[in-house]
Amino acid sequence: MIDGHGEAQELLAGYALQSLSDEDAAEADRLLTEHVPGCSECRMMLDAFQAVAGELALEAEPVAPPDPLLPRIHREMDARGRSGMRWTPGRLVAAAASVVLVVGVGGMALSQLEDRKTAQVPAADVQGLADFVVQHPTLLRQPLGGNAQEISAQGVQELYVYGRGVPFPAPGLVYRLWAVSRHHATHLSDFLPYPDGTVLVRLEVDPATFDHLLVTVEPAGSEPSEPGDPAWPEAG
Amino acid sequence: MRDGDREDLELHRRLSSGDRGAFDELYRRYAGSAYGLAYRVTGQQILAQDVVHDAFMALWRTPEAYDPGRGPFRTFFLALVHHRAVDLVRRESRLRARSERAANLEPLVGEDPADAIAEESYLGVRRKEVREALAGLPPEQRQVLEMAYFGGKTQVQIAEELGIPLGTVKTRTFAGMRKLRAALEETG
Repeated sequence: MIDGHGEAQELLAGYALQSLSDEDAAEADRLLTEHVPGCSECRMMLDAFQAVAGELALEAEPVAPPDPLLPRIHREMDARGRSGMRWTPGRLVAAAASVVLVVGVGGMALSQLEDRKTAQVPAADVQGLADFVVQHPTLLRQPLGGNAQEISAQGVQELYVYGRGVPFPAPGLVYRLWAVSRHHATHLSDFLPYPDGTVLVRLEVDPATFDHLLVTVEPAGSEPSEPGDPAWPEAG
Repeated sequence: MRDGDREDLELHRRLSSGDRGAFDELYRRYAGSAYGLAYRVTGQQILAQDVVHDAFMALWRTPEAYDPGRGPFRTFFLALVHHRAVDLVRRESRLRARSERAANLEPLVGEDPADAIAEESYLGVRRKEVREALAGLPPEQRQVLEMAYFGGKTQVQIAEELGIPLGTVKTRTFAGMRKLRAALEETG
C-alpha cells in the first residue's frame, strides 16, 4: 500500500494518462477516496497532471469530423433534452414528488445490465467520482453493507454509491437502490457489480430529501413497486 | 488567461443555461481537435465519430461537470474525449480479439483520415507549444507518454512491449509528466 506523496504522485501521473491497470488502478481508487481529498499537495499535483493530459490532446492533428455528425448530435439533443436517463419510478413517484431522480453515468436501465457482465468501470466514471471527492473535502460516507458505501456532500444534489469487492447477487437477480423516507421508498436504480466487484453509481438527487439509501435484491426486470429483502442486512 | 480561454468560459456559461448557439460554437471550436484526437487513439473513423458524439452529448447534458476553477475548458473537454476514446479502444480490442479468435477474421484495415482543418489561432499557438514541450522531453520519456496517451496502452502493456520493468515505465511517466507540466505552465 502506498503511503508517501512521491509514490502517490507517480501513480496519479499514470492515472491522469488513464494508463493504470488492475492493482495500480485499485490503489489509485483508494488514494483518490482516502488520501487525495485531505492532501493539498497531491490534489494540486492531480489537477496539474489532468491539465497536462488535456493539453496533450493538442499534439494530435485536428481533423474535420464528417458533416452529418453535428446534425446527428442536434437530433439527439432534441430527443433527449438535457436530463440524461430520467428514471420514472412508477407508482412511487407521487409519494415522493419532491425527489427528482436522474440516474447518471453509473446507473443504467435494465436493458443495459447485461453489458456490465463484460464491461469494466469506465474511466470517465471513476474520474467523475474522483472529481466529486476532490471538490468536496468534507464528504459524508455511509456504509450500505456488502462493501458498498454512499458518498455524498452536504448541500450537493449529487451522490455516489461506490464499493469494491461487492458480491454478485444470485443469477437472475439484481441489486435495487431505494431512497427511503419515513413513510415511503422511492426506486432509484438497478445495478450489478462490474466483473471485478466494483460498483459505481452516480445519482443526481438531493440527499436531504430522504432519510437513507437501501439496497435490496430483486428479480431482474421485476416491477419496482416496493422494496423486497435487504441485500445486506448487516447495514442495519 | 488567454482570450480564447476567456471566450470558452463565456460560451460554457451560456451553454449551461441552455444556449444551443453556444453549444454549436464550442462544437465549431473543438470538434476538429476532438475528432483528430479520437481518430488518433482509436484508428477508426466510425469509432472516432462515436467518441466525439458521446463527448459533446455529455457536455450538453451535464455542463456542470466542468468546473472553471480547475483549468481551461479546453483541457477539461479534450481530457473527456481522451477518456472516452481510450475506453472505447480497449473495449473494442477485447471484443475484436475474441471475435478474431472465434472466426479467424483479418484485423481491421486502417482508414484514411479526413483532411486537416483550419482552426482558431489561439488553439494553433497552444498546439505548437504542446508539441515543442513534448519534443523537449528525453526520447524514453516521450515514448512511454505517447504509448500511454495515444496508444491507449496500460503501463503493464508498455513495460511488456518495451521489455523494461514496470517500475521504469512509472518513473519515466512521472518524470515526463512533471517536465511537461513545467514547460506548459511556462508558456500557458
